[in-house]
Amino acid sequence: MAKKKTKSNFEQDLARLEEISRTLEEDNVELEEAISLFEEGVKLSKSCLKTLKEAELKITELKNELGKISQVEED
Amino acid sequence: MANETQILTVSELTKEIRKTLEETFEQVSVVGEISNFKSHISGHWYFSLKDADAVINCTMWKGFNQYVFFTPQDGMKIIVNGKLTVYPPRGSYQLDIRSIKPAGLGELQEAFEKLKKKLEAEGLFDEKYKKPIPVFPNKIGVVTSKDGAAFKDLVSVAKRRFPLVEIVIVPARVQGSGAAESIVNSIKLLNEYSGIDVVIVARGGGSIEDLWALNEEIVARAIFNSKVPIISGVGHEVDFTIADYVSDLRAPTPSVAMEIATPDIIDIENFIEEFISKSSTNIQEIIEARIQDVNSFSRSYSFRLPMDMLNRKTQQVDMSIGRVLQSIEKFSMIYDKKITLLTKSLDAYDVQRALKRGFVLVKQNSKFVTRAVNFNKENKAQLKFYDGEVTTH
Repeated sequence: MAKKKTKSNFEQDLARLEEISRTLEEDNVELEEAISLFEEGVKLSKSCLKTLKEAELKITELKNELGKISQVEED
Repeated sequence: MANETQILTVSELTKEIRKTLEETFEQVSVVGEISNFKSHISGHWYFSLKDADAVINCTMWKGFNQYVFFTPQDGMKIIVNGKLTVYPPRGSYQLDIRSIKPAGLGELQEAFEKLKKKLEAEGLFDEKYKKPIPVFPNKIGVVTSKDGAAFKDLVSVAKRRFPLVEIVIVPARVQGSGAAESIVNSIKLLNEYSGIDVVIVARGGGSIEDLWALNEEIVARAIFNSKVPIISGVGHEVDFTIADYVSDLRAPTPSVAMEIATPDIIDIENFIEEFISKSSTNIQEIIEARIQDVNSFSRSYSFRLPMDMLNRKTQQVDMSIGRVLQSIEKFSMIYDKKITLLTKSLDAYDVQRALKRGFVLVKQNSKFVTRAVNFNKENKAQLKFYDGEVTTH
């Protein structure tokens, strides 16, 4: 469950990065806001790159039996 | 044989006929056109074989028909092999079929065209039913043979492009008898399993017979009815299957199917790196603009604002820069090469580094003294070194 959450967050993190990037390009952004956004962005970048670096492909096999789902292997 | 005076019961005669027929036609090959094809719920097949002038009833038991790679259709010309037998309750003779093959490749081609036309007319290939393929999938369902090259290709592409993903495979027979049913079942299972974002139906290239399961109507309907979007990745570019037409997206090979289903890790890393360099430049500009604001503010005597307010402003900027540098430093531990330039240019603002190099800050009455003219020799002064503060007289 925890892993699933991390992964679905990944997409959100990238979207947030894009948002931050856009805000920092605006002329009227406040210094305090800009700095905290930048900090947030750096933190997100770091965690995203870490997630990518540590990712390991997971393969799950389900048995093909009519009307039955059984997980036979997970690594 | 019975002579003229002997009287036989119906059963006895039938038995004799049966014996004669079965012995005479123990193994025959017959060519004909299928009509009235019925696949009984028991798994047995019943149909007629006909040509212009004659018809013969046929049965093909489950034990044999499970080895037939295609589902016979009315009108299809086939060659069957089997024995002639008699069904006593009806007094009819029939062919007990052991094997079936299409009379020619043209037969399969025709069946293909017929089904394609039918499904097209029903709207199964319509663009409006095509579901979008998600960009960042969590789980990719895979329908293919577990031992096939297609699965190996799928795994290696996923590993290279987006190892964050989970592959959920439901092994299916992708060729030969029972393949269509097996594929249908796998698609259904993946629809029942939670969290599958996209399904890839894959197999390597092959002859029209090899690929036939993907031209079966039940497979087409299972793909159409799937709630999860399906990418077909079959063969090597040339041949289209019915599955290709009805899938939400058709890829020419299994590898390409996985490429479509996954974002590229390199693109993501580039995006992040671009974010860092772009945002670093932006934040630098914002800070520099602010420093200039403060500088011009402090120079404008007309404001005559109390010094401590100016200090507060300066301090605010210093702290902000300090925090930026801190995050950069933390970050650079892992990716220092990428942001060396940024760190270098921001170093100029780092008071701590200046102190480290031997510079000293002078404070009197809790205010920094930045010009000799402001230094009061009568008062105590605090000297701020890199490693601490001292007070002088």
